[in-house]
Amino acid sequence: MTPKKTLLIFMLIVAVTALVIAAVSFLVPKKQSLTHLRIGYQPSTHQIAHMTAMEKGWWREDLAKFGIEKVSDYEFPSGPPEMQAMLAGDLDIAYVGATPPITAIYEGLDAKIVAGVQIQGSHLALRLEVDYTGPDDLRGLKIATFPPGSIQDTVLRKWLIDNGLDPENDLEIVAMGAGEAIFAITAGAVDGAFLPHPSPAVIELDGSGRMVVVSEEMWTNHTCCCLVVSGRLIREYPDVVKQIIKIHINATEYNKNHPDEAAEIYARKVGWEVEKVQYSLNTWDGYWVSDPHIGMNITLEYAQVIYDLNKPRYDRVLTEEELFDTSFYDKIVAKET
Amino acid sequence: MIRLLQRRLDKVVTPMRFLKRRGLEIASFFCAIVIWQFVADFIVKNEFILPSFSTVATAFFELLSSGIMLMDILTSLLHLAIGLTIATCVGILVGAITGWFRVADRVADPIIEILRPIPPLAWIPFAIVWLHLTHSAAGFIVFVGAVFPILVNTYAGFRNVPKILVDSAEVLGCTKSHDLIKAVAFPSALPFITTGIRIGTGVGWMCVVAAEMFGVSKSGLGYRIFQKFYPFHQMDNLLVYMIILGLIALFLDRFFRFYIEERLLKWRKEIVA
Repeated sequence: MTPKKTLLIFMLIVAVTALVIAAVSFLVPKKQSLTHLRIGYQPSTHQIAHMTAMEKGWWREDLAKFGIEKVSDYEFPSGPPEMQAMLAGDLDIAYVGATPPITAIYEGLDAKIVAGVQIQGSHLALRLEVDYTGPDDLRGLKIATFPPGSIQDTVLRKWLIDNGLDPENDLEIVAMGAGEAIFAITAGAVDGAFLPHPSPAVIELDGSGRMVVVSEEMWTNHTCCCLVVSGRLIREYPDVVKQIIKIHINATEYNKNHPDEAAEIYARKVGWEVEKVQYSLNTWDGYWVSDPHIGMNITLEYAQVIYDLNKPRYDRVLTEEELFDTSFYDKIVAKET
Repeated sequence: MIRLLQRRLDKVVTPMRFLKRRGLEIASFFCAIVIWQFVADFIVKNEFILPSFSTVATAFFELLSSGIMLMDILTSLLHLAIGLTIATCVGILVGAITGWFRVADRVADPIIEILRPIPPLAWIPFAIVWLHLTHSAAGFIVFVGAVFPILVNTYAGFRNVPKILVDSAEVLGCTKSHDLIKAVAFPSALPFITTGIRIGTGVGWMCVVAAEMFGVSKSGLGYRIFQKFYPFHQMDNLLVYMIILGLIALFLDRFFRFYIEERLLKWRKEIVA
């Protein structure tokens, strides 16, 4: 190799290295003051509290005194991409199922569950031609639900085991998202689906299946959704976190007292018919909460399940202190009472 | 005799000769690893945004020793094999017929040109409806991705058969279409067909990941990425599988380039080289 060629290659390597470093430096999150609150949520009836607060302008108005100039919400199809965004530093708070933050915290997410959002709220729906008298009828069937580690998968497996069925051998549990599961049951590719509302109501209203087992029957008072706040907000902006929880409590109470309006808000947000939303809310077993203590023990059981699924990777089960920060909620409630 | 021995000795690849021949490639590879490790450890400093090379290497050995990786590779190769086998048969058959017979070309061309640009992922709902949640459904998505490169290349191969070859064959008594295809057009189109299969294999392999996203199996590289690593935010494992996907694609491509093309198209070397 000639010296000229060697020099050229060396220069090329240096240039590529510089380019890579420059490109990567853009990926690293930069520190900035909190003027823009970024909220993650899913288009589910479980999380109407956020939609109510957003539509009524409570997020923006009540947080303005803390320097928040802009509030944006970002819709996610499920919990994992939402937590992926939070891990990447793109979300400050998230309305999400209880298990995705657990898996994310196991992988290093700096965040805590600060409030409850909703309990129960799922249904097992079966195709119309499938007879159902009890769990034993599920033998040999193909049931769609969210992937392993999700609340629905965990609740379904626990219920099957409680009823003497082996989830691995007696039936086939197929992992998929809500949209795919609704399509699969309509297409006859699966016999049933265990999903959070409003999906089971959609299946029943479409005429492709019927709701047969309510999630309360499977695991009474199991936690479903919660409110997660980033560690940065908790440490650097505790007053903002306190206000966020206050807004969430107000929105939850408002929805409980005005369920018809909550249905309208949801319908407007996701572009649905109000009657369908009301049908979902009338048939579900879920209830909205804001107290993080409700279902805390069950959330810790989820942490154990996720640990068991990833045993060689995780060396211990996450503790209550690592998952929850109830101090803000407790202070608000203590002050009010 | 001495010359012959010398020539044979020249062909023996010693480590030094190998380094001399492939030194630049090896240096480039190691440079990339060093840059990766440096950027991950000292600039990004966040295993979620960019897992370091050492973390990924550790994850690779853990996944390999667990046996999961082998099972996933075999399942994905099964999906590729199902789709690619059917795509090869259909692509060559339709490509040959449309390339050789003008009427068939006019009949099939509008349909092929409408179907060809549709992304394979758009076929997922129909894969579920027609084939349900089976390995065949994943194979179908691979088929959709692989069939058009094979078909189009076969078509081009048959359309570009030199007229002089056809005329010569006819002069020598080969007048029936069937005989002309078998003796002249097919061997002449073979370089195009193998290129088509090579491209189709690459496209099909890219479709495997998407095909395993919708619950067709309980293993597979795509299944593991989207149902296990992604929901659990295991970025190091995810990167391992991405590298595995790339390596298998590279292996398949090299296999085609150096084994199939060398064997099937040995005669061509005399013409080109």
